[in-house]
Amino acid sequence: MTRKKNMAFSIGMILLIAAFLFPLYWTVNTSLKTEQEIFQNPPTFYPHIRNLQSYKAQVSNGDFNMFRSFGNSFVIALGAMLISVVLAVPASYGIARYRFRGKKFMLLTFLFTQMLPVAVLLTPMFVLFKNLRMYNTWMSTILADATIGIPFSVLILKNYFASIPKDIEEAAYLDGCNKYTAFFRVLIPVAKPGVAVCAIFSFLYAWGDLAYGMTFIIDQQKRPITAGIFNFMGQYGTKWSYLTAFAVVVIIPVAFLFIFMQKYIVSGMTSGAVKG
Amino acid sequence: MTKVKRLGGTDTGMVFVLPAFLYMMIFVGYPIISNFILSFRDVTVSNLVQGSQKFVGFANYLELFRDSVFRKALSNTLFFTVCCLLLQFVLGFGLALLFHKKFSLAKPLRGITLIPWMVPITVTALIFRLLFATDIGVLNYMLKSAHLISKNIEWLTQPKTAMFALICANVWIGIPFNMILISTGLTTIPQELYESASMDGATRTDAFFKITLPLLRPTIESVLVLGFIYTFKVYDLVYVMTGGGPVNATHMLSTYSYKLSFEMFQYSRGASVANVLFVVLMLVSILYIRITTQGEEEQDDA
Repeated sequence: MTRKKNMAFSIGMILLIAAFLFPLYWTVNTSLKTEQEIFQNPPTFYPHIRNLQSYKAQVSNGDFNMFRSFGNSFVIALGAMLISVVLAVPASYGIARYRFRGKKFMLLTFLFTQMLPVAVLLTPMFVLFKNLRMYNTWMSTILADATIGIPFSVLILKNYFASIPKDIEEAAYLDGCNKYTAFFRVLIPVAKPGVAVCAIFSFLYAWGDLAYGMTFIIDQQKRPITAGIFNFMGQYGTKWSYLTAFAVVVIIPVAFLFIFMQKYIVSGMTSGAVKG
Repeated sequence: MTKVKRLGGTDTGMVFVLPAFLYMMIFVGYPIISNFILSFRDVTVSNLVQGSQKFVGFANYLELFRDSVFRKALSNTLFFTVCCLLLQFVLGFGLALLFHKKFSLAKPLRGITLIPWMVPITVTALIFRLLFATDIGVLNYMLKSAHLISKNIEWLTQPKTAMFALICANVWIGIPFNMILISTGLTTIPQELYESASMDGATRTDAFFKITLPLLRPTIESVLVLGFIYTFKVYDLVYVMTGGGPVNATHMLSTYSYKLSFEMFQYSRGASVANVLFVVLMLVSILYIRITTQGEEEQDDA
């Protein structure tokens, strides 16, 4: 492309992507307006009176504490992420490197579970958690959310481990490692980028979950932020400054992950999907 | 494969995989079976956790086909899936082609295009409710400014426009996913192919249909099949945006199943709806696994 053409094309693309991301801008814009300005006609495309009331109110007023539910989501997402990584890393290594009876069946199990609709699992899990006395605790949602992270992680990391040259293990054995110490001391460090992808996605899946958190946790105090928003929408249907402030707070961790981990996210989206 | 054998015996691999496998068996395998059993019984709120649960055979399934809301939910799910798949594929493909041109901002712009895919779906639903709101909705404002409509449209309270709003929101999430997969697929096509084609006098359109599309076939297949799976099981988006309303008009299989189980407490009927969803996804998943493992098996044999 010539320089001029490059410029023109770049500007065109910026406008196109700006239009595509307009809904996000509009959300932030609305969260910074006063209720009065939100109802103004014609709508204002930037807040004329900057107003942080919608954020402040959530900390001080007792109705619904956005930051507590943020904390709840954080604990749940971290818990689900830990379980997923701890279980999926060895599993994917075993599948990538060893032959054993039932391997094909296990691999297929991971593939199928990745595609399951939550509707199939909700009621049986509900009964299961009631019987395990985990109903209405974070643990129920953590355990349920990990069932999304595990298969995804296994499938991503399986390809990752398969792409690591086998000489690495051979060298570790020569240095006196056994199968397990080789895995912990040599292979996990080499597979770090892959493990990061799994951790990020397991976190994101749990962070975005609504169905499990809403069904297995009843106390507003313990619910994740997605269920909190949903509740809030029912109660304050048109209090848009509060609702959008809520939305912005949920997007913030996602945005941070995105800024610092973009490389991993792209690799997760592409390798996980195309190569199953 | 000979090296693999040298690395360890049967048991070692099993030791690595078993914990994750057992976890999935307990928290997914058992619920699937239990959900099938549930659908053949008559379970409501009174006998869910304990008490006798009467076996009723296929009665719940037979009842479904007389249930007009179920039929509506089934056709909605199909309609929604087909519309979303087509739109997000075409738009995502278009964007991928644009990003494939070598302009200076291609990489960072392509990066931020992924954001909608990462936003929690509950939030996306909230955002689109705001955009499609009747009085303060910016969409109504824009349409009015362009003189396309004279009166505000009540998007979410009429069946057809509510479905339209749902499709828009879902396509917004799906475009980045389609774009990034096709974009990666495009980078695997060797540039020389296009060069030699143009020397042979092929036009750009020829090159697209004779080189790009055929070589992208594996990518396109998995994008569409995966897209089908993700879209067909749509839940959060519909539940938060319309709740299946107005008057059950936008229910999908997943939201209807949820409503039966957790709002009407007819667990067995909810389970049977979920199983219809399950069977369809199972069949498509088998298709997907066949597509994606074909290449791998060839690699193994080599």
